[in-house]
Amino acid sequence: MPDKILEVKNLKVSFRTQTGILRAVRNISFDLERGETLAIVGESGSGKSVTSKAILGILAGNSIVDSGEILYDGKDLLKISEDEMYKIRGDKISMIFQNPLSSLNPIVKIGKQLTEAMLLKNKVNRKQARKEFNTLLKRLEDNMIAACDPDDKETIAEIKNKIRTFDSFNIKSIKLANEYSDSYSAAFDLNAEIEDMLFRVSRNAPVARRDKIGGFARKIGDIKNRFLTGNREADLARYSEKLHEAKAAVTNKDTGELPADVLETLTGLKDLLESLINQEQPDFFRIGYYKMENPDADLTVYDNHELNRMSLEYLDEHFMKRFIELESAGLRHSYFGALEVKREVLAKMPEYRKYFAEAELSRSEAMSECNRISDVVERSIDRLEFIKDSAAYTFRSSLSSAIDQYFHYKKTNPKEEARFERQTAKREALIAKGRNVDWKVVPKNVLDLDEIRENMLLVIDRLTERYTRYIDESGQMDFEARSVALIDYLKARAGEVIYRLTKNMAKEKALKLMEEVGIPETRIRYYQYPFEFSGGMRQRVVIAIALAANPDILICDEPTTALDVTIQAQILELINKLKKERNLSVIFITHDLGVVANMADKIAVMYAGKIVEYGTADDVFYNPRHPYTWALLSSMPDLDTSEKLDAIPGTPPNMVYPPAGDAFAERNKYALQIDFEEQPPIFRISDTHWAATWLLHPDAPKVDIPKAITDRIARMLEREKSAGEEGGNGNG
Amino acid sequence: MDNTGEREVLLRVDHLCQYFRINRKHTTKAVDDVSFDIYKGEVFGLVGETGCGKTTTGRSIIKIYDITSGSVYFHGQRICAGKKSYRDAIKKAKADMKADPDNAAKYREIIRKAKEDIAAADYDQKECDKEYADKLCAGLAEKFEKDCAEAGGDTEKLAALKKQYKNDVRIAKKTRLVTKIQMIFQDPAASLNPRMTVREIISEGMTINGIKDKDYINEKVYEILETVGLVREHAGRYPHEFSGGQQQRIGIARAVVMRPDMIIADEPVSALDVSIQAQVINLLNDLRDRLGLTILFIAHDLSVVKYFSDRIGVMYYGKMVELASSDELFARPMHPYTRSLLSAIPLPDPHSEKKRVRITYNPIAEHDYTEDKPSMREVFPGHFVYCNDAEEMKYLAEFGKR
Repeated sequence: MPDKILEVKNLKVSFRTQTGILRAVRNISFDLERGETLAIVGESGSGKSVTSKAILGILAGNSIVDSGEILYDGKDLLKISEDEMYKIRGDKISMIFQNPLSSLNPIVKIGKQLTEAMLLKNKVNRKQARKEFNTLLKRLEDNMIAACDPDDKETIAEIKNKIRTFDSFNIKSIKLANEYSDSYSAAFDLNAEIEDMLFRVSRNAPVARRDKIGGFARKIGDIKNRFLTGNREADLARYSEKLHEAKAAVTNKDTGELPADVLETLTGLKDLLESLINQEQPDFFRIGYYKMENPDADLTVYDNHELNRMSLEYLDEHFMKRFIELESAGLRHSYFGALEVKREVLAKMPEYRKYFAEAELSRSEAMSECNRISDVVERSIDRLEFIKDSAAYTFRSSLSSAIDQYFHYKKTNPKEEARFERQTAKREALIAKGRNVDWKVVPKNVLDLDEIRENMLLVIDRLTERYTRYIDESGQMDFEARSVALIDYLKARAGEVIYRLTKNMAKEKALKLMEEVGIPETRIRYYQYPFEFSGGMRQRVVIAIALAANPDILICDEPTTALDVTIQAQILELINKLKKERNLSVIFITHDLGVVANMADKIAVMYAGKIVEYGTADDVFYNPRHPYTWALLSSMPDLDTSEKLDAIPGTPPNMVYPPAGDAFAERNKYALQIDFEEQPPIFRISDTHWAATWLLHPDAPKVDIPKAITDRIARMLEREKSAGEEGGNGNG
Repeated sequence: MDNTGEREVLLRVDHLCQYFRINRKHTTKAVDDVSFDIYKGEVFGLVGETGCGKTTTGRSIIKIYDITSGSVYFHGQRICAGKKSYRDAIKKAKADMKADPDNAAKYREIIRKAKEDIAAADYDQKECDKEYADKLCAGLAEKFEKDCAEAGGDTEKLAALKKQYKNDVRIAKKTRLVTKIQMIFQDPAASLNPRMTVREIISEGMTINGIKDKDYINEKVYEILETVGLVREHAGRYPHEFSGGQQQRIGIARAVVMRPDMIIADEPVSALDVSIQAQVINLLNDLRDRLGLTILFIAHDLSVVKYFSDRIGVMYYGKMVELASSDELFARPMHPYTRSLLSAIPLPDPHSEKKRVRITYNPIAEHDYTEDKPSMREVFPGHFVYCNDAEEMKYLAEFGKR
């Protein structure tokens, strides 16, 4: 089953404006899978940016989310509080904006801007991780105890003991790792600073040599963790003395080459530090346990590699094997317990569905009914599953908000109705007088009740479908693997708890990040202001800031529109590279189809707030079906175009007055009569490809794809074929 | 390609240098020794990455900046002249004179010549418009005399002619040669004054040139609005009431209404949506055919440049590195920077895009100019590349056979 990380369902967003309600996004749905790029393509005003802003919860103040759900990590992003959203925004879901300068603070140095969010979020994250770690461990314990025989006092005691041990040696390793990482970052920092100084000296740049070397001597004292220094402690002490000597030998005003012995000391120290940094890192999870069990053991005799191996064996033998055994029993118990309730839910679902579909609803009754179902559904969730099932987790909020909406709109709005009637009467009177009326009456702000009812049923159907599949797959569960995964997950949480970010560490991290996104001379750049960067570099900084929190989802809102071709290619390559390295999911918003050909796995073409065509990159580029996609493709020249460009005439419709039929009909050469009267439904072309146009209706007249596009596709395929042959020949 | 010699050169840019002094030590060479000709009726594309000096070239040509060195000729008349090269010559001659006092007379001659050149440059820089106006006035006087002779004794007609003549001369005296070159800017919204109506924006140039007849101006405005695909009613509106594409049309109308011989289009479509881009390009193409415009098209989107231009110049860090007709340039890119630029064009073709390898250009690694100095050379007829002897041989060997 593909791992859906984000699901957008039936999203509708409007804006209150002076002229009326502007329908910016009209009922769009899409899924985003992990590690996948979804490109949203459309003109300005098609609602693509609004969609991304809704995901991030940063819609403008005059926006109304009419309906819809955005499911992420078991939460509905449209319904959670601002506090909860704060934890997700920028941290799990990041965004890159079109104009890099407008998303950077002009009077704050780049380095500060990069580390600011890291330091700020660090505290929140640590608290959250601690909470999650504790609740998960408690749940695990409860389930493990429930899984075994209640009379077996011995095993229960063992379980309690094991859980306590697990908790405490995690803490132990946390402390060890903390000490280690302090020393490590000190060593890393020192190494980089020496490198920086040598570089400056080689370029004849002014350096306060005496002060610098004094600083090195001080910093060497911070590198004292035994797991890092190992048997080289004496060497470090010696270098410390040598540095003091060297300090005496130079002055701040010296220029030219360094004295030979000073240079030797510095390069020697640098080599030593490098070897320390690059050695195998100890695994404190294992060592922590070993150390707790044998507090007096002398670990200095081992080097890190041996230490890792030895402590792993020890941990497996004394703790892990038995723990995993008990844990998988606990998991099994929790899983099958939940499965039982799921079956129960599934059995009851048709009854509930019937109630919401047919009964005359009354508010209190519907609410109590909703609560009753939600209670059962919540019991049916396997709480030890750390990949959350969004359908179940958001069941209560989705259903209750749909019911709320239903009763909210059931009340009529007399003021609104009166206004509508007044305006209509005025307009008709003017027309009757034979005047030319160029304004339209803003329609009444009422929602379709049937549609809301449909939404309620959708929530129920979605859960039914999800659970049916879940039960079908229940036979193939590997509990051994799941328990290992759970331990890893707990370890990661514990890691987050300890991850106390100091300013120095944040700086190191920021520098690494800057290197990763391809900014040269990071140490100098770190202290510069945004205006000292070129456009491409600025965009890289913005990407680095977006990646600082290691997000799951990256939303790129026209990140290259303001850049020129070569820089654009570099930025696209960068995003692609980062996506692969970090398994990021990317939502890429652009108006340029050429840009997304390289990036996108899936493409959604948007027009006037609707997705008009959706498919894989191959589907959309080699087999486009919607006239708007044709128009987009043929309106941009490529290197072989010589005939007149097929421009789309006119401009997009004003969405305060959304047209009754297909929004694109007015600009569409291939529009049918029905396009002006009725909105086209979605026609499936293949499993991955669909389009909303009447041309795909079986009764529609046959319309050929414009020649400019067929020619181009033929050319592209031809080129690929010839390239393939060449490649084949080359290989043969 | 050989027939280019017969065509009329409308604009000649000759060793144009535009330096900006940042402080006492640093000078940015935004444009460094660039030469090219633009023939009448053609579209000349100028491409390159941000900061390579393509916009500066355009702005120097219409005298927004005072150029550092070199000359720009328009209709054969020098409109921009820089003095740095002459000053350098004087400096060098003085130094040489000190080193070699025997030939002092020769160096004095050089200095005298350079000083004359400076005076000429000063004159051209300042008075080119006056010369042009004088030329126009002379033409008008000739025509007036001829008309008078034709009219004979008809006093009424003579009076009308005289009035007309006076008006024409007044306008002609205000005419500046540079107004025959007009510019279209990148960001349509930013280049239109938000406090002026479309009518005011379009007619501003005419008003400055001394046309007072309101009916005439209105008629011109309506005519030009219809030419660029807008309607009469738009004249009374303000720029913010238009979409991006329409705003760019207004910018084009403002440029075209002055009946220019040449238009400098500085990234006119980069800020627009794809579908609107096509509308604007089609419009420019249409105007070019109808009004016989010559266009200097500055852009970084290579597919648009390829589609629109007859000849293309590629710039890199203030230097022109390659110049050829557009088909030739794309078929046989020679300079490594051009190749790198071409390899970065995104195409709407996922299969080939996924396989595309971008060539990076590193000038230090690519060229060895320590001994063999590069210059602009015509490697093939009409195909100029900035290279040295060794590279020229290499290009000839590589592309000569095909």
